[in-house]
Formats: sequence, C-alpha cells, structure tokens
Amino acid sequence: MRLKLAVIVALALTVAGCGSKGEQTTNNTPTGTLTIGASLSSTGSLAREGILTKEGYDVCVNVVNGKGGVQVGNQKMKLEIKYQDDTSKSDLAGQLMDQFNDGGLKLILGPYGSGATAAAAASVERNGQVMVDSSGADDAIFTKGYKRTFAVLSPATLYATSMVEAINELATPKPTSIAFISADDGFSKTATTAAVARAQALGFTVIPPEYVPNGTTDVSSALTKIKPANPDVIIGSAHLAEGVAIVKQSTELGVKPKGFAETVAPPTPDFVQALSKSAEGVLGSTQWTIKTKGTDKWFGSASDYAKTFAGQFNGREVEYHGAEATAACLALVLAVEKAGSTDPTKVRDTLAGLNEQSFFGPIKFNDKGQNLTKTMGVIQIQNGKPVSVWPKDAAEAPMKWPGNAA
Amino acid sequence: MSQFAQVTIYGLLQGGLLALVAVGFSLVWGVMNVVNLAHGAFVITGAYVAWEINRAVGLDPFLAMIPTAVVLFALGYVIQRGLVNLVVNAPIFITLLLTFGLNLLLVNGMILRYKANYQSIPTSYATQSLVLPGDVRVPYGRLIAAVIAVALTLALAWAVRRTRLGLSILATGMDRGAARLMGIRAAHVYAVTFGLAAAMAGMAGAAVGTVSTFSPADAGRFTLFSFVAAVLGGLGNMYGALYGGLLLGLVEAWGGNLLPNTLVNAVAFAVVVIVLAVRPQGLAGRAFYASRVEV
Repeated sequence: MRLKLAVIVALALTVAGCGSKGEQTTNNTPTGTLTIGASLSSTGSLAREGILTKEGYDVCVNVVNGKGGVQVGNQKMKLEIKYQDDTSKSDLAGQLMDQFNDGGLKLILGPYGSGATAAAAASVERNGQVMVDSSGADDAIFTKGYKRTFAVLSPATLYATSMVEAINELATPKPTSIAFISADDGFSKTATTAAVARAQALGFTVIPPEYVPNGTTDVSSALTKIKPANPDVIIGSAHLAEGVAIVKQSTELGVKPKGFAETVAPPTPDFVQALSKSAEGVLGSTQWTIKTKGTDKWFGSASDYAKTFAGQFNGREVEYHGAEATAACLALVLAVEKAGSTDPTKVRDTLAGLNEQSFFGPIKFNDKGQNLTKTMGVIQIQNGKPVSVWPKDAAEAPMKWPGNAA
Repeated sequence: MSQFAQVTIYGLLQGGLLALVAVGFSLVWGVMNVVNLAHGAFVITGAYVAWEINRAVGLDPFLAMIPTAVVLFALGYVIQRGLVNLVVNAPIFITLLLTFGLNLLLVNGMILRYKANYQSIPTSYATQSLVLPGDVRVPYGRLIAAVIAVALTLALAWAVRRTRLGLSILATGMDRGAARLMGIRAAHVYAVTFGLAAAMAGMAGAAVGTVSTFSPADAGRFTLFSFVAAVLGGLGNMYGALYGGLLLGLVEAWGGNLLPNTLVNAVAFAVVVIVLAVRPQGLAGRAFYASRVEV
C-alpha cells in the first residue's frame, strides 16, 4: 500500500514538474500569453508622466483582453505587459531593453520621454527587438537610421509650431511679438527651433529664445531678460515643472503677455491643479483630444475611448499621455494580428506597412518610423478644463483672446 | 539698472527660502556629524502636510507651518530615537547609507500615496507683488518666506546660545563623551536636534509649496541645495546655512542674468569650489567642525 502511494506521489510530482517546466517557455511563443516589455518612469523626476503613460498601456491590456485577446494566426493570446522602472534615467531605460531581451521579450512599448526613448531605441535596434514609441517625439531619434522603432505620435517639430499656427489663425487682435522660453533637453529644443522658424516665416517678431535647465522650478532669470521686450505671447517649450513656473513667476515679476502657450504641460490635470485661476486661457499643444477623428475595432472613436478610460479610472478624464500610450499598444496589437506571428522581424515589417484609422487618428509610418499623417491639436484652458480650439474643424469652443486673464 | 535690482532682490528672496531649507540640514551635520540625505524628503513631507491641512480646513499655508512643524518634529524625533541613533557612532558612510535608504522609503511612500502629482498650495496673495520704483517687483509669498527664514534662523541661533536645551545641543555637538559626564542625555538631545531639523525642513516645505510646485521627485534637489548651502556657509555656526543660502540664491540669480540661464548650476558649483579652495571651513564655519568628518 505504502509503495503504491509512493509511486502515485512520485508520478504526481513528475507530472507537476513537467507542467511547470512547460509553462516556463512563455514570452512570445504561442502558449496563450503575448508578453510585451515596457520600461517606464515610476519614480524620479518623470514619475508623473510615466504613470500617465502606464495608465494608457493598462487600458489597452484591459480592453484587448476584455474582447478575447489578440488573434495570432489560429490562436487567441492574452495580452500582458511586463513593466520595469527606469527611475527617469535614460541610460537605465536602454539597459532594461537588454534585460527584456535576455528574458526573451522582443516586442517593446516605449518609455516616457524622448531621452529614454532614444536610449531604448539604440538597444532595441542592436537586440533585434521592435518598439512602438508612445511619447518620444524628438525628431533626432528618427535621424539615426533605426529600422525597429515606430512612433505613433506627431514629432517634436509640430508641438510649438501648432500653437504658432493657431495664434496666427485665430487670435484677434493679432499679436505681433513672441518670446520663447525653452527647456534645454533635446525634445524641447527641437520644438523651439521649428516654432521660431515658423513664427518668423509668418511675420512675427521673435525675441531670441531663452533656454532654462530641464526640470527647473525657477525661470525668473529668463523672464527678467524677456520683460523689457514686453512680448505679446510667451511660448514655453517645457514640461510641467518649468511650465507652471513660467506662468507663476510671470505674475510675480509683472511680465504680462496677452497670452501664454506651452507645449506639454497644459493638457495634464496637474497644470490646472497647481495654477488654479492663473491657468485660465493658457494654450497647450496636444497629441489627441476627444474630437480627434477616426475609429478602430478595439476602442471605437475618441469619445468612446474617453469613456473607456473614465470607466477604468474612477470617472477621471483622460488626457493625451494616456491616449498616445494606448495608441502605441494598439499599433503593436494590430501589427501582431496582421503578421499572424509574434516574430519581431515579421511584426516590424507589418508595422512598416501599417495604414490604419484609430481613435488616435491615422496610424501610418514613414520610412524613418514617424507618424506624419496625424496632426497636432491645440487646447486652451477654459473654466478650469482643457478644451480643443484648433484646428477649427475639431474645435470644441472658440479660442479666447487675449488669453491671459491676469 | 532696474533689471539688476530686480535680479538681486529675487535672488535674495530665493536665497532666504534656500536658507530655511538648509538650516536643519546644517544643524544635524554640525551637531551629530550625520549628513542627512533624507532632508529633502522631510521638506517635501512638510509641503504635503501643509497642503493636506490647507485642503482639509483651508488654513493659510504660512499659518499651517506651525502644525506642520509639530508633525515633522515628532517624525524627526521618532526616526532619530528609533533608527538613526542605532548607527550614530558608526562611520559616516553607514549613516549616509541609512539616510539614503530612509530617503528612498519616504519618497516612494509619497509616490504611492500622492501618485507623483505636481502640487501647489493656492493662496490669493503669494504671486502678487509689492511694486517698487522702476517696476521692480517683490512677490509677497517669497517675501514672507524669506522673512520667516531669517527670523527662524535668528531664533535658533539665540536658542542654542541662551537656553539650557540649546547649550546641551551645543555641548553634545562639541564632545559627546564630556557632555554625558555632565549629565546630558545625549540620545534625547540628538533626537531633539533631529526633530528641530525636520521641523524647520517641514516649514520650508510649506513655504516652497506656496511659492512654487512640489512633487516627491523634488526631494533630491532640496537635499542637494541644503548640502551646497551648508558647505558654503560652513558648519558649527547657526548663521552658516543662512549665509550659504543667501549666497547661493544671489549667485544663481546673477549667474542666470549675466550668462545663459542653463549655466546657473555650473556657476553655483563653481562658487562652492572657489569658497572651499579659499576658505575650507565655509563662510562662517569653524575649522573644528569641518575637520571632524570621519570616514
């Protein structure tokens, strides 16, 4: 009897052992789970934006799995994202790609920010992985000849330029002079250079840009230098901390333009929270609004997406960081389905030829991997909320000008 | 000329705020020989406490400094008694490691609780300014913060020289063994010192939250500011951090005005190097404290 029991136990253990061994060969082999790697800033100076990006990825996972998962050939696969914290350090984001690669993860979703994306893109290229970039907008990333990085978002050159266009088209009385305050990171500088050229071409008097350290909360020296020129508009090419400081310290120092416009900060909820009434009338550029045109089978239209997001995050309104992250995940899912494979080279080739409409607008990449088919929008803070004001055909409300209430 | 006056005034006000941030750091370093890498996290904790109080009962952030100081004093006292005291005799690397770990715990705890959001404590007056001739502006928020910073530093300097507790802090800082032989309870004195430092950091946090923005990620920046101000000003003198903070504020403001703004940090650190080369004990420090850092 004892012997029999021992044999049964031994058999059971062997079977269990076999089972667990089988389950270990997961990753991108078709065993039922499609695992994607993503390095994000959960801590450090970009933690806020990193968390917003993660929320977008999580919405994608939830919706795709809710609808039965990803169809890969004849098999349905559950979508899973494996996150690692890059602590807001670009070089660590690059190293994490290698770590993902060592673990067999070949399909990657981009980290937050151009610096981290640039570092990750180099590793992805070397490792033969493939990455869909959700927030690395700096055009410099796409001048290096990489073949395995694709960005769903509009490039950095359009961020501040779109606001110059909007002001030129909609602001009455039309302003004549523009001052630029730019953070000194690659993305912000690229955005500034392009917008300065566009503003000059449109006939505005441009005061030479003032560059400030990336992430600073003190832009007083830049404002003091700009003050004597008394510009009609101050355009900040900067992130949240600098963006809030530009508006706050302008009030302190008596710098009174007719309007402020800032690239990244205004659409995020923190901008209005931190500035309360002073945020009123500030223009911001956005990758996406709920008026963005286009639909797809997973998320429907832009307003459907907003409802899905609100449903997952206690009724909170989505802003573009979440949407662009979901769109990147969507592009990868569409490419895997179309390729019928999780093989990184096949997925890469499918991404290169992708031409789809989505809640985020058109997704189509040029030979550098940039999505130039979609346009940027411009929002304005009105009654404490970002509303779409440009382009006119996707506007929720007319632009208020002068925008600066103070 | 009015631009120079504006830059100077703004730099002095910013320096006052930095002094308030740094004075506790300098106190703990001078008395306990502990370089507290969690000091910036205390500043941010203070900012969140003041923000919570403001949100809950609408108390003005400058008035909220008082309850914030009480909360942070208690936190500092407990951390010192229960944690830092265990390694206070160890080489400075061990205390560095401990406070570094403490910083990570506090910062990540705040990220868990507050989701790394950027916050600011709204007031109706902080960004309004007093207008001087030549359109030179003195923002009220920064003015109040700087005045409080100077007043607190003076009060601390007075308390250390004139009160029994202050003298015991000073004595323990000079020679712990001798202080103990005189009947001073060193563990308690250390905990009070650490608590006072945390309370000052918390008050600085409330001021920072009013005039600027804060998020857990800013902790490291404030520790760095404190370090620079303490080294510039020198240890062993309560006025050291005040001088260091004011100098740092001025140098950053002038540097940013005369040179490209992106060079402000380089200019600030160049001044640190020059001061250390010419006067290693700092502007107001005493050589005894500077030479005491054991590795």
